[in-house]
Order: sequence, then structure tokens, then C-alpha cells
Amino acid sequence: MSIDWITVAAQIANFLVLVWLLRRFLYRPILDGIDAREAEITNRMHEAVLAKEKAQAAERVHLDQIRALNAEQSDVAEAVRQEAETQRDALLAEAHKRLEEERMASQAHLDEERKKYAAKLQRAGGGALLSLTRKALTDLADTSLEGRIAQHLAKRIEPMAEELSAAAGKSTAAVITSRDALPESAQNDLISSLQTVFPDIPFRFETDADQPPGLVLRIGGAQLDWTVDGYIDSLGDLMDAQLAAGVDPKLAST
Amino acid sequence: MNLSPDQTIMFEAWDYGVNATIFYTWIVMALLTVASLLITRNLRPDVPPNRWRTMLEVIVQGIQSQIEEVAQGPSRYLLYYAGTLFLFVATSNLLLVVPGFEPPTASLSTTTALALSVLIAVPLFGITTRGLGGYLKTYLEPSFIMLPFNIISEFSRGISLAIRLYGNIMSGAVIAAILLSVAPFFFPVVMDLLGLLTGMIQAYIFAILATVYISSATAPPPSSQPEKENP
Repeated sequence: MSIDWITVAAQIANFLVLVWLLRRFLYRPILDGIDAREAEITNRMHEAVLAKEKAQAAERVHLDQIRALNAEQSDVAEAVRQEAETQRDALLAEAHKRLEEERMASQAHLDEERKKYAAKLQRAGGGALLSLTRKALTDLADTSLEGRIAQHLAKRIEPMAEELSAAAGKSTAAVITSRDALPESAQNDLISSLQTVFPDIPFRFETDADQPPGLVLRIGGAQLDWTVDGYIDSLGDLMDAQLAAGVDPKLAST
Repeated sequence: MNLSPDQTIMFEAWDYGVNATIFYTWIVMALLTVASLLITRNLRPDVPPNRWRTMLEVIVQGIQSQIEEVAQGPSRYLLYYAGTLFLFVATSNLLLVVPGFEPPTASLSTTTALALSVLIAVPLFGITTRGLGGYLKTYLEPSFIMLPFNIISEFSRGISLAIRLYGNIMSGAVIAAILLSVAPFFFPVVMDLLGLLTGMIQAYIFAILATVYISSATAPPPSSQPEKENP
């Protein structure tokens, strides 16, 4: 066991050189690399924190926007609902109005039909009544309706002589119209009665198919209606009352 | 039988015989330097670390953590010094398994040189850290009566370091050589394994003791605030 001091000096030098070499090629690159990596990690973590904060801020903004959109959507939905209610009310009112108009038109049409029906019924009833009356007078009394009316009018002229004279004035002609031609005897009876009141006035007989059964006397501006028109009207009133009390739908529809 | 590789002349240069201790030291130096150079040549932050770089980082950070644990703080210069001590001694001892390789640490000249370097490094680190007056003052602590004892203690540290390392490595190599001649198949393998173990332990102990000595010299006085970073 001996110490070679030259070797010792050389080893000290070798060791110092090795320290320098390892410092140059091992420690500094490794430690600098570690420091750089740590710095990079720190930077990345800082960037991650910033990115997270940014993301959180964006999330808050997004949530605020969502809340605003929800609120706006609620307002829009409320406005649409109110608009829909308004439109529904308007449509309902229009429908009610149209329905009312249709109902009124239908009612008017119904009234018109009822009037037509009543008039038709009145004419038919009146016709039937007159026909039955004529037939009954012909069969039972061997006389006609117009003849009996003319005979009865001839009897009633004398009580109305003053009124007829006043109404006739200074007339020079008189016309007696009937629906059907009067029998010869009835014409003679009537003329003889009238000439007692109006001796200077000639009378002539005419027929008018549109006239109601009975006689119409026209002297000057005066006119004396001796017809069954009033009775037919009474028959019409009676029928209207019956129809108003309860019309058979089947009957009304015809 | 040569007990020290100092007596083996490998070749002559400039009329001086380069012995095995220096020759194998250069091999260890070249091995460490080339390996470091190869591993760290493409070291950039944007390149992900490979397995070799990771191995070096683990070694360097392991040494650094040990130093920080002993020195109670980071010190890059202490890392350079103690780390190199550890790597040199450990590599030399590990290469014991290579046939024909004679570890330089089996030479008393090498261990003496390392111990002397520690002996010089302790006051250098102490003076750099505390200043000349502050360092010399530590020899008078706790009282001036302790001055001779502190000086003897300082030198005995280096001697004990040198003898410890030399004795362990040299004895391992010598015992392996003896057993190789007696029982060439079984015992040398076992002794080489033990030699690897004791070699690593000795490298660790040598580096740790050097760190402890330097740290005790660079430690701030109890009243003062701890320094952040040694030079």
C-alpha cells in the first residue's frame, strides 16, 4: 500500500476535468431541461387557468344569453298567446255575427215563406170556402153567390142613399164590376134599386177576374166594395194566429 | 501480485509511464462524458424525453434531492461536485465486473486524491459562502481551545474517507482475485456481486460524507437567516 503522489495529482486534475465535463455535458443540460420543462408546465398550467377562466366567463355569458333568450321566448310566447286570444275572440265575434246574420236571414226567409204559405193557404182556403159556399147555395138554394150578394146589396142601397149621393156628386156614369158575370135577374134587381137613388145615371156591368168575389160599385170618385175580401182577410188572420201558435214543420216547409 | 494498479504501466507518453489507475480513470471519464453527450445532445424542451434522458434525469434529480436533504437547501455547485464524486466512484466500482478492468478506486492514490479534493473543497465552499473570516471563525467554535482539535478533525476526515474507500474497493478486488485462483467458477461470481453492492454503497457513502462535510462548512450560523442559493 503506497501513494504515488504524481498519480494523486493527476487524479485530482482528472477529477476536476471530469467535474467540468459532467457540468458541461450532463448537469447543465439535464437541469436546464428540467427547469425549461417545469417552466413550460407552469406556463401551460397558467394558460390552462386563463383558458378555464375564459371558458367560465364564456359559460356565464352563454348562460346569461340563454336566460335572456328564455325570457324573450316567454315574452314572445305571451305576446303570441295574447294575439291568438285576440284573433280567436275576433273570429268568434265574426262567426257569431255571421251566424246571427245567417239566423236573421233564415228567419227572414222563414217569415217570407210563412207569409207566402199563409197567403197561399189564405187563397186556397178562401177559394175553397167560396167554392163550398157557391156549391152549397147552388145545391141547397138554387142560387148563385154573386146573385145573392147583388140582391142583398140592392136591399142595402136605400139606407146608404144619402152617403152614396154625396160621394157620387155629379157623376154621369157608374160601373159595377164582379169576378164572374152576374145573372140577369140579379143585374135587374140591382139596377132597379140603384136607379131609385140615381135615376139619371146609367149603370153597366163588367167582370174582373182579379177582383175578389163580390161586387164593387164605382160612381164618380166614390167606390163601394161589397166583397168577401174582408172575410178572406179574417180567415187569413185566423190562419196566421194558428200558424204562430204552432206550425207543423212539414206543413211549413211546403 | 500487485495490490495497487499504480504499479501497472499501461503505456508511456512524453517519457512518463501512464499507469492503470490513470488509464482506467480516463476510460471512466470518457464513458461518462460520451454517454452524457449522446443522451443530452438533442435535449430540447419541445422534444419528449426518451428512456435514456429519463434515466439521467432520475439519477441527477436523485443526487440533487439527496444533497438538498443533507444540505437543507439547493446548491448547484455542490451538485456538480458531489454528483461527480458519486458518478465517478459508482461507475468505477460497477466496471469491476468487466473482465480485465481495474477500478481506479482500488488505488490508494485515487482515493487520496478524492479525499484531498474534499479536503480542499470544504474550505473553498465555506469561504465562498461565509467569507474568509466567517469560515476561519468556525475553527474557534465553540471556543478557541478547540482550534487544534478542529484542525485535526478536518484532516482526519480526509484520511478516513480515503482509507475507507480504498480499503473496501481494493479488498474486494483482491479477494475476488484470490478466490478466482482458488475456486475459479463459483466464488468469484458471488464476490463480484458483493463487490457491486459494496461499491455502490461506498460511492453513496463517499458522496454523502463529502456533502455533509461541505454542508457543515457552508451552513449559516444559527443566528443568521438561511441563504437561498449557494454559489
